Amino acid sequence: MAEQGLEGSQPVDLLRHPSGIVPTLQNIVSTVNLDCKLELKAIALQARNAEYNPKRFAAVIMRIREPKTTALIFASGKMVCTGAKSESQSKLAARKYARIIQKLGFPAKFKDFKIQNIVGSCDVKFPIRLEGLAYSHGAFSSYEPELFPGLIYRMKQPKIVLLIFVSGKIVLTGAKVREETYTAFENIYPVLTEFRKSQQWYAQLLVFYVTTDVCILLNVTCQSIVDHGNNI
Amino acid sequence: MCLTETLDEMVQSGTLSPELAIQVLVQFDKSMTEALEAQVKSKVTIKGHLHTYRFCDNVWTFILQDALFKSEELQENVSRVKIVACDSKLLTQ
Repeated sequence: MAEQGLEGSQPVDLLRHPSGIVPTLQNIVSTVNLDCKLELKAIALQARNAEYNPKRFAAVIMRIREPKTTALIFASGKMVCTGAKSESQSKLAARKYARIIQKLGFPAKFKDFKIQNIVGSCDVKFPIRLEGLAYSHGAFSSYEPELFPGLIYRMKQPKIVLLIFVSGKIVLTGAKVREETYTAFENIYPVLTEFRKSQQWYAQLLVFYVTTDVCILLNVTCQSIVDHGNNI
Repeated sequence: MCLTETLDEMVQSGTLSPELAIQVLVQFDKSMTEALEAQVKSKVTIKGHLHTYRFCDNVWTFILQDALFKSEELQENVSRVKIVACDSKLLTQ
């Protein structure tokens, strides 16, 4: 599978990514059924890099270095694989875990492998007016800066949740296939440019207004002092 | 390790009953935790490549490669070291 999102290392296909930005995949969550009952304590005792604390969590937590991932292995034979950077790497990692379980003597199969979630992120490299975006896209947006600094945008088509930050950094989650991540980003990009915060210009203007306001305020005060003086 | 080996030997040769050997081990754990708590003040930092780890039955096992042991007075490199650790609270109970 072609590696995507290595910014600048290869030309971006502008037909697929009109914005010129390709979200980088950060985490893939997949599940698979090993289709046999597992003795978790035996696995934890024999396998390397395993944690099993049944008081806290009813699964063995196992890690491998290549692809760098973590697996949750349940007694039912169900397994969750997290942390891979691509779909193929997630599948490869899940296979490696299944192989480890097989080597420990369990008749592990590899049934119903499925990608459950894809998380991607990117940087549009300009600041965004979140209040404005939240106001005009009220039906999709939730922006509570006192609770979380990002705007939560629940896109309907494709059904993707986006976290949009003032800095222009974007996180996209909820995809089952990477194309949903890409489509969601291309959908939101024009909206982001619409609510681009023109920071420097804005800041300068603010300084200008503040200074004139202070002058006006002082003039009025001076005038009123003079008036009062005249009256007395 | 040395203690368990010696106890094993003594049990094998019949100079010690298995029950007594177990009791010696239990007392060793007890005394060591007390001593570590009351008498040992120095601190050591261990830094290295974590080759393998395991947590099962409330016991951590770590295998470190190229580990650097550092205390106030001295430091030493060890190419391979195995650390077995458990929660001291569980021992005192």
